[in-house]
Amino acid sequence: MHLQNAEDIIIAKDVDKIYPNGCHALKKVSASIKKGEVVVIIGPSGSGKSTFLRTLNQLETISSGSIVIDQVDMYGKNTNINKLREHVGMVFQSFNLFPHKSALHNVMMAPLKVSKRAKSEVEEHAKALMKKVGLAERMNNYPSQLSGGQQQRVAIARALCMKPKIMLFDEPTSALDPEMVGEVLDVMKSLAKEGMTMVVVTHEMGFAREVADRVLFMEDGELLVEDTPDKFFHNPTHPRLQRFLSQVL
Amino acid sequence: MRSENRALWQSVYLVIVVAFCAVVYASSKHINYNWNWQRVVPYLINTEPQSVRAPFDGTAKVSTDDKTLTLVPDAGGEPVVVKKFSAISVNDGDLIFEGDQVATISNWRIGPITEGMITTLEISLASLVFAVIIGLFIGLGRISRNLAIRQLCITYIEIIRGTPLLVQIFIFYFFIGTVLSLDRFTAGVASLAVFTAAYVAEIVRSGIQSIPPGQMEAARSLGMTYVQAMVNVILPQAFKRTLPPMAGQFINLIKDSSLVSVISITDLTKAGREVVSATFAPFEVWFTVALLYLVMTGALSWMIQRLEKKLAASD
Repeated sequence: MHLQNAEDIIIAKDVDKIYPNGCHALKKVSASIKKGEVVVIIGPSGSGKSTFLRTLNQLETISSGSIVIDQVDMYGKNTNINKLREHVGMVFQSFNLFPHKSALHNVMMAPLKVSKRAKSEVEEHAKALMKKVGLAERMNNYPSQLSGGQQQRVAIARALCMKPKIMLFDEPTSALDPEMVGEVLDVMKSLAKEGMTMVVVTHEMGFAREVADRVLFMEDGELLVEDTPDKFFHNPTHPRLQRFLSQVL
Repeated sequence: MRSENRALWQSVYLVIVVAFCAVVYASSKHINYNWNWQRVVPYLINTEPQSVRAPFDGTAKVSTDDKTLTLVPDAGGEPVVVKKFSAISVNDGDLIFEGDQVATISNWRIGPITEGMITTLEISLASLVFAVIIGLFIGLGRISRNLAIRQLCITYIEIIRGTPLLVQIFIFYFFIGTVLSLDRFTAGVASLAVFTAAYVAEIVRSGIQSIPPGQMEAARSLGMTYVQAMVNVILPQAFKRTLPPMAGQFINLIKDSSLVSVISITDLTKAGREVVSATFAPFEVWFTVALLYLVMTGALSWMIQRLEKKLAASD
């Protein structure tokens, strides 16, 4: 089923997650994601989709199973999780920008402190990224002076400045006012076009249909369906997916 | 609030303050107390000219320009040249006897109360620095994932907060001070630092825990280690939030430093007590001491408020 392929940049195998309180959040989830692929995970709330995404950079540890990122076993004895995370960018639902730093310094912090890159090079890169997300004018603003959509775009630039190989998006538009969803999705679309490997948990069905190479459907901690967006939305065969789609579409 | 109301309540406030002062004054009159503020002044700054006295019997020689005074001993030997003086009290050729005043120096010297205040400042500042360092580490240990570290820190906080500072000062001076042969100043600073650190630790802990967990997650997801995330992301934000309670704790520290007078450190409070027995002016001296404490705590609280304003730029 999931053959170990050199092209697979993420290989999750039989991932189980049981919280100390007994909640079984992930049940034997297996998925592989190829380099350059855009994978969207959809499912009702509490289905474990965010938990699964967070296991991919070990913000959540797993109870059993294995996760291999870019040929590195995440739970291997010699794996430095911080090194691994440098190449896995993450964008959060609540932005989580650092409020005590200006937008530009939010973007520059990790490359300077973690990667120890030269300041002039980082500054140039950060400014280019701020321009790319359309915020060249707001670089010196503090997060509190930016709208939600602008903050989320800074958060994307911040993750990109680490030159990640994979970008994880955890419901990036769920906390936004409706009129700001578009600007964030546009940035994500252009990122997808450039060939970034992306795993996106979202409720934006339009984005999934338009941009995704594959769509995964999760419910009750199980990965039930993985299919191309075309078949996923127009020809759903799984009864639980059919029921879910009839509720949200 | 409307402006006429503001003026009204402002005057009510002033009337109450003036009335209170009048009551204090009237009650002192009632017990026949004579206010004598001048008696306190020399204990703050001594402006009285100091006498320069002859070290032996001999003859005084004053140069024609009145610039140098030379004392020639009767018994023979080297003459003494008095260089620093503001007025000469003898004439050229006068016979002088040992202990005679030959000149005066008008030299401002700080009095014992001011010296006590400097000691209080030194003790407070030294213990503040150590309290912050110890408190930061105890506070971080308090939320450590390691059970041993966490429990050690909780034990420290509970023991220190659960016993009186006065008792701790005695233990530090008589027990720990004897074991490690500490002088009284070090013992005083150590006990104040250890005491304040327990409270600082709790302030640090609550400050860190008030930062949303998403901040740590965002920092870690960028590849930062726990320490990097703490130093670059969590602590700078927690620092800002903990400034108001920290200010209160530091003000307490300055006031608590008065307790070190029990191990014979001549701080502001002990100096006050000594000056009272010298002047018999307890009201004036204690009011002065209170005012000096108020100046120190007020200055500290003003500085922290300024820092708060400066850090509020990102809000």
